[in-house]
Amino acid sequence: MAYISFEDKQIVFKLVYFGPGMSGKTTNLHWIHAQLSEKYRGDLLVLDTERERTLFFDFFPVSLGKVENYAIKFHLYTIPGQIHYEASRRLILEGADGVVFVADSRAGHLERNIQSYRMMIDNMVDHRIPVDSFPIVLQYNKRDLEPLIELGSIERELGLTGIPSIEAIASEGRGVMQTLRLVSTEVIQKFRM
Amino acid sequence: MRNDLSGQSSGIHRELSELIVSTGALISLLISREGVCLSQAGGLASLNTTALAALVAGMFAATKEVAAIVGENQFSILLQQGEKRHIHISLVGKRAMMVVVFEDYTRIGKVRIEAKRAGEVISRLLDAPPVERAPDEEGDIYLPRFKEYALNLVDRIFRVDEEEDGVHQL
Repeated sequence: MAYISFEDKQIVFKLVYFGPGMSGKTTNLHWIHAQLSEKYRGDLLVLDTERERTLFFDFFPVSLGKVENYAIKFHLYTIPGQIHYEASRRLILEGADGVVFVADSRAGHLERNIQSYRMMIDNMVDHRIPVDSFPIVLQYNKRDLEPLIELGSIERELGLTGIPSIEAIASEGRGVMQTLRLVSTEVIQKFRM
Repeated sequence: MRNDLSGQSSGIHRELSELIVSTGALISLLISREGVCLSQAGGLASLNTTALAALVAGMFAATKEVAAIVGENQFSILLQQGEKRHIHISLVGKRAMMVVVFEDYTRIGKVRIEAKRAGEVISRLLDAPPVERAPDEEGDIYLPRFKEYALNLVDRIFRVDEEEDGVHQL
């Protein structure tokens, strides 16, 4: 649920990039940060290990400007994808307003995607997030690394309907801003006071 | 977290300010568990409170897991000792954390006592029912118009250079 401060006149939305390890969540955030003008973006915080795998989370704030006198901000987070960082993942989903699930499109990674998606839903249920009406965008990343899993295969395996999906090559920025725009649009459309 | 602190925020700010005065601390902040800075007193020009709030929320969650491993429900205080500056973090109720940044480590006892006192007062303030807002105040956001303008900002700032719309939906 968005954080609303009537006193400071600001509304903060929390977007979380979820997905299996090495699927490109941090790459998405780096690209977005590089694309946005300094006027809109805050500092990028990256907490990774020596092997450049996210240990805790990556984070940066975006200030879109004022609407109706309220400053609108988005806080973008990634979760650590590795299986043993369950605690960090749970924390970061707390209070989320929208999620991008970054899937690894390489053939042979379908099962990891499915497992991670199920974990995300379990964590959301723990936080009492209404999963069916919650803004989720599915990004099929790494579309340049053939052989690929088919588009729609994750949804079919999980029996999902109505989840928008986008193809991406985050390392080249392809599909990254579309994904962000799509999830942000859903978040604002579903915003209630 | 919906922040209906309308009636409480001045009380919270007053407590944080008093904490600064009584301990000689540089800054004190109240942070939500989701990682948003709810209120602050004092200040440091170089301090990025947005990032600090996100990190402190993360630290506390990680510490909670550590507590669980050693058979505790949670640790209610975290203390970080640096060379010049130190941070005292304490849980406030179930939803928030209070951060005090101070320099004189000999005052740690005072910081602990005052933070505990302020935390109890703020916890009560947070638990108080939200003050009813007058209709004209509530109406200062007209939702359909707000959404339309906000969506325009999203379209403009998160702009897509590639024109292709690669969105699929099953």
